[in-house]
Amino acid sequence: MNPSLTKTIRERVQRIKTMPAIPAVFLPLLKLLAREEVQVDEVVRLVSYDSAIAAQCLRVASSPLFGMAQPPKSIKGAVMSLGLRRVETILLTCCLGQAFPAKKWALDPIVFWRHSLGCAMVCRKISEKLASADREKAYTAGLMHDIGFMVNCLVFSKEFAPVMEHACQEGIPLNEVEQDTLGFTHSDTGRALAEKWGLADDIIEVISHHHAIEDSQAAQPLVALVHISDLLCRMRGMDYGYYERHRVDLIADPAWAILHKEYHDLEGVDLVQFTFELDEAVEDIHTLVSMVFGPAPVRP
Amino acid sequence: MTITVQPAMMHPSPNPGGEVVDPVYRQIRDLVYKVSGIYKAEEKLYLLADGCVRRMKFLGLRTPRQYWDCLTVQPQREQQLRELLNEITTGETCLFRSQPQLDALRKVILPELAAQETKQTTRRLRIWSAGCSTGEESYTLAMNLLEESERLLKGWTIEILATDLNDRSVETAKAGIYGGYALRNTTDYFKRKYFTVVDEKKLQVRPEAKKLITFSRLNLQDDNKMLFMKGMDVIFCCNVLIYFDCASKSKVIKHFFSNLNFGGYFFLGTSESLMKLNDQFHLIHFPGTIAYWKPSLSSGKL
Repeated sequence: MNPSLTKTIRERVQRIKTMPAIPAVFLPLLKLLAREEVQVDEVVRLVSYDSAIAAQCLRVASSPLFGMAQPPKSIKGAVMSLGLRRVETILLTCCLGQAFPAKKWALDPIVFWRHSLGCAMVCRKISEKLASADREKAYTAGLMHDIGFMVNCLVFSKEFAPVMEHACQEGIPLNEVEQDTLGFTHSDTGRALAEKWGLADDIIEVISHHHAIEDSQAAQPLVALVHISDLLCRMRGMDYGYYERHRVDLIADPAWAILHKEYHDLEGVDLVQFTFELDEAVEDIHTLVSMVFGPAPVRP
Repeated sequence: MTITVQPAMMHPSPNPGGEVVDPVYRQIRDLVYKVSGIYKAEEKLYLLADGCVRRMKFLGLRTPRQYWDCLTVQPQREQQLRELLNEITTGETCLFRSQPQLDALRKVILPELAAQETKQTTRRLRIWSAGCSTGEESYTLAMNLLEESERLLKGWTIEILATDLNDRSVETAKAGIYGGYALRNTTDYFKRKYFTVVDEKKLQVRPEAKKLITFSRLNLQDDNKMLFMKGMDVIFCCNVLIYFDCASKSKVIKHFFSNLNFGGYFFLGTSESLMKLNDQFHLIHFPGTIAYWKPSLSSGKL
């Protein structure tokens, strides 16, 4: 990417000073998540500042995707049953969902969240099959991978709207149209925001390189995991709301080889069965998205 | 603060009647996948459960657990599994059965084939509907390809070979007459363009769509005949291999692989898979569906 574009992106992202809807607990929570050792009380205290987020977190905790049959009565109760790290990712989901003003979207926000939450869920589901993978890290990476779209909507709205329209009409992957018409993609704008927010290095790596894994220097297995999950989501009904005229050979994808090198137990994963299993979870994603972000769209 | 939770939303039931499905059916679902590659997703689990209940009634069994034993430990378990497969796959079919497969064919595969250098000179497309039953899939393909012959495939020769083991099915297929149930997914556009009215309940496929298809009887296990089915660009074999045991299934799949042109595609039914029966095909995801691909020579992945 040419240096003047990088500069433009940085400048515009710097302009996002305060997002009107961003919950006050969001940035402190991100800082907390980046740390190795976190105390339960710290999280509970943080969340107690925002009762709306706390309430939503408790509802989301009882969605089938997070595994509690009964909604927990308190954040502490949720931590006891689900573990601290899972509750942190739930909180992150809720906060992120409120971070962007509704009227700025160039794509249906429900569609965007369905894809992001879908990808988070797929990342975690694949990690569950790999003994040594960090599941909550995988979830967070999946959830955040496309935050660049929000940046595009906020500070490149004029340029991004026709890109979205063209991609939908022609059925071309969005990042390809972005690159061709804008000279940069949501990976670049996402990276600028991630750096501004001070996200963990491996998450920044995912945001920057999930479409171009060969460019990634560090955290390659995590980037590969998100790359694969992103493709699977787009092929299994958690797409950007349009038909991508696109075929995907996951096993021949370089990302698969990277993942396989890191996690030998990937060998035993039956990709077809996994794909069919995902279809069952799509409903859960729709339910969760409508819980966090409003009514789910009716698919044609 | 009180938090209201709607129970139905929290725990969506797989069963339209709202009853919770016995967990044994999930075990049976996984067993069925293991032996046949057929996967009944959660939302279709009740269909599998219904099939099991019919078998249980027939066998005089009272609980799903007893039926599980019958499928796994009893000496006649193989026979019982086969009966269950028959029960859950009975030939209920219709035209336009899988839109994602048709979309993959028209929006992704045909443009890819049309761009191949060899195709640009031969301008010939050969598609095989293997196990065509009473012709619903074959005519669906014919109509969709005719649509493309007005655009992408202008001036191409299109051939559809449709084969089935059952003589009577082939005869029914040749007639091309369908009632409301088989036509429930067919839009008015296709009905008007490709059918004539037989009577108030039935429509018949027009000659221009029939012309594309050659129907014949073929046993997929007949090795000699299978050797002659060469030069296919796409093969559809939906919900047929489930009736085969592993060894013959794997043999048939090998034939399909060699019958396909390089760069050709092989489709199974929407809930079927090849499992580990073949490692030459590449698994390909398209939006909403999967297919198997015979790598092209240029991809260097053979």
